[in-house]
Amino acid sequence: MSLTAFYVLAAFIIVFAVFAVTTANMVRAAFSLAITFFLIAGLYLMLGSPALAAIQFMVNASAIPIMTLFIIMMTQSRSTPAPRVWEMVLGLVAAAGALVFFRQAVVHGDGRISPMGADLLGQGLLRSALLPFEIASVLLLLAMVGAIVLARREDG
Amino acid sequence: MVTLGHFLLLAGVLMAIGLYGVMTRRNLIAVLMSVEILLNAAALAFVSVAAYRDPQIFAGQIFALFIIVVAAAELSIGFAILLNVYRTHGVAENDAISEMRG
Repeated sequence: MSLTAFYVLAAFIIVFAVFAVTTANMVRAAFSLAITFFLIAGLYLMLGSPALAAIQFMVNASAIPIMTLFIIMMTQSRSTPAPRVWEMVLGLVAAAGALVFFRQAVVHGDGRISPMGADLLGQGLLRSALLPFEIASVLLLLAMVGAIVLARREDG
Repeated sequence: MVTLGHFLLLAGVLMAIGLYGVMTRRNLIAVLMSVEILLNAAALAFVSVAAYRDPQIFAGQIFALFIIVVAAAELSIGFAILLNVYRTHGVAENDAISEMRG
């Protein structure tokens, strides 16, 4: 796990994330968000959890941008208006506050990681986290049914 | 050598970027995208702490998995609500839903 690879990944993640929250073109924002999540999947690989990297790639870097692009298409919102000045000041103050808050919470440790394969993650998921796993499945079903009911046309 | 501090600092920077997006974006789709950045920053912090500090108990990775699940559910419901806002108001911007303002 080399420092150069981490810095390259981190620099691209920050650049694409900043582009995703500042560009006025919504389609470009969605695509750069997908690239950000794809690079975060690379960070998960560096952290020794390939299962989570695969899930991140499939869900956050593929499915969610596609859904976002569909919604952009359906609501005809190609571009977002520029933020007002007070909103921008508020956002910058909030971001600076968050940075100061997280900076004092950062702890440094040694560089030794303990990788965790997909088999260990699956066993842990079905052994010690079985109840949250089932609740998550019910939650996903509820979200699916709820989204269909909410988005259905009244006269349909 | 990459330490835990690097990953936590990156998660903090991502959190700040997402917070800025939530505050400044006026299109509701863009607000939901910024919320996605916030959730991913939290998941990254969980996974990095789990990888560095937690060799036996892997609660951090399970948390990250559930964060992804909850984010997917939240995003689908949010988009359904947003579609209703677009049908009733014609635009998907947060200025459109300010009828409650006095």
